[in-house]
Amino acid sequence: MIDATDLTKCFGPLVAVNGLSFEIGRGEVVGLLGPNGAGKTTTLRMLTGYLPPSRGAVTIAGLDVLRSSLEVRRRIGYLPESVPLYGELRVGEMLEFHGQLHRMDRSRRRERSAFVLERVGLTERRTQRIDNLSKGLRQRVGLAVALLADPELLILDEPTSGLDPLQRMEVRDLIRELARERTVLVSSHILPEVEAVCDRVLILHRGRLAADGRPADLVRELGGTGHLSLTAELGPDTGQAAELLRKLPGVASLKVVDASQAANAGEEPINHPSLRSFELTGEGELAAVVGELARDRSWVIHQLAWQRATLEELFASIALDMNEALLDGMAPAVAPLAPLAPTAHTEPTAHTEPTTPTEPTAPTEPTTPTAPTTPTDPDAPGADS
Amino acid sequence: MRGTLVIMRRELFSLATSPFAWILLSVALFLNGVLFTAYIQLLDGDVTWALRFALGESLAFWALLVFLPPLFTMRMVAEEARSGLVEYLLTSPISDAAVILGKFLAATTFLALFWCSVPLYGLVLAGLGASPDWGALLGGTLGAILTSGLFVSTGLLASASTSTPVLAAFLALAFNLTWLALPLVTELLLGGAVSWLARVFSGGEGLGGASLAAAGDWLQRLVGTIDILAHFQKSFLVGLLDTTEVVFFLSWTGLFLFLAVRLLETRRWR
Repeated sequence: MIDATDLTKCFGPLVAVNGLSFEIGRGEVVGLLGPNGAGKTTTLRMLTGYLPPSRGAVTIAGLDVLRSSLEVRRRIGYLPESVPLYGELRVGEMLEFHGQLHRMDRSRRRERSAFVLERVGLTERRTQRIDNLSKGLRQRVGLAVALLADPELLILDEPTSGLDPLQRMEVRDLIRELARERTVLVSSHILPEVEAVCDRVLILHRGRLAADGRPADLVRELGGTGHLSLTAELGPDTGQAAELLRKLPGVASLKVVDASQAANAGEEPINHPSLRSFELTGEGELAAVVGELARDRSWVIHQLAWQRATLEELFASIALDMNEALLDGMAPAVAPLAPLAPTAHTEPTAHTEPTTPTEPTAPTEPTTPTAPTTPTDPDAPGADS
Repeated sequence: MRGTLVIMRRELFSLATSPFAWILLSVALFLNGVLFTAYIQLLDGDVTWALRFALGESLAFWALLVFLPPLFTMRMVAEEARSGLVEYLLTSPISDAAVILGKFLAATTFLALFWCSVPLYGLVLAGLGASPDWGALLGGTLGAILTSGLFVSTGLLASASTSTPVLAAFLALAFNLTWLALPLVTELLLGGAVSWLARVFSGGEGLGGASLAAAGDWLQRLVGTIDILAHFQKSFLVGLLDTTEVVFFLSWTGLFLFLAVRLLETRRWR
């Protein structure tokens, strides 16, 4: 459905989007993720043909976006971030106007606008002026407008921004429902949302594609780990509990938390002598494994909470890694090959990303600080000799 | 074409539902009416001349012609650039030209409505037993509409160049006034400058002065060809529908609309 190759957009000296290539198949629901200023909106504007790319090309349904612009626009339902609507029009009139722009005939306009209003839950607001609607309702009108012409491709730029949690959930459900019939591309910087709705995410960072894949796969591949927090009365095991936990399969790291602090969260200020809290990270069924251990050693569990690895952490790690990669790229500037260094180094370091998170899996903590430096150091002299 | 009509209808709707447009229109109509009554009284009931004053021979007429269009057009593109509606329109399945053309037609129609009030004076007077010069009256009305269209096009060009409506109005107004005053300015300049230069250079021979005078003549003729006032008075006011004059107004209008479309397109990469 969408085929973007080497999409690049420069605003003067600023490279907003840099060499973006991806393909989105018919019927896919894709989330475009990235922090503010990552180039999400610019990318979407290039896909809709509003901004011509500085380099590269986009085809939508096999049509070049710039060359067959009108044909492409007829197939896209686009909701820009600012939700542009004519405030002096009533909701129904806005839909009527949009339908006329799309050359829908009168009966189809009437039928579609009734359907679409029903879909976004605005049937009763049909005769209200758009200026008098709240932000959330405006957002829904925007969605209705984007949907009216029954487009093959729906592009939504931050459709849930400025909405309250309830409305956000509604929009999320709506998008999920819409996704059954068409291709949807949603941009967002709110990760759980994208995770909930999309089968695939594209992560943008500083205008580059940092990751592309199913959220779960990405999390696994890029070394996403789950969090477990445990608070328990350990009895006779107080001394060796940390050791026991660390030996469990799948545990990546362990941190002992001050029990009195941890208990603050709950209401009971019990100061049991053997009450301890731990924060673990790791993969697999960590909760079950820890639970089993607790049963075997007859610990009294006060709290056992398991949180699966989320896109959020993955995202943070990508952003951090990229920053480190940039710093790494700066570091060899001392080396003779200075001018080539920055660009040459960002690519390989991006590839080593998956390996860096595996580093902390090393069971003993003291070695980890030295570990990250060792793999990169031998690389540099090795390349030199 | 269909897209143009859709845009035009929406713009007309906006104008018709905005108090600003109606206030502007009523003030203009009131002013015009009061002035017309004054003309009649001052001219001792000379209907034909009073109508000529109301359509083309008075400062008030030209002031309305110059001031009204920018006030109607100033928001048309500038406001939409600010609110993001330009993004909506330019990603809708209509051409950029249809957007501008639709807005142009809407503003011109609204102004045409205003100028059509003057033939109504004629009707009333005819009903009272006077015999107005219908040719001049209808010609003048057509001329006023065509000139309004021209100033609407410059107004749209100005509106497309900025996202501040007031600035757009100011730019368009300055441009229109300069254009109208161009013949006057060249005359003043040439009158003073040419004679001065001729005096300086014709110390020995008369040759320098003569060629300078020829150059001044040429410039004056050039300015004369784009003199809106002259074009207006030459044809429409005498009740003569001269196609060259119609083409003059339409082609300049077309040029400015074309530039406005181009400018709207550059919004994409600005």
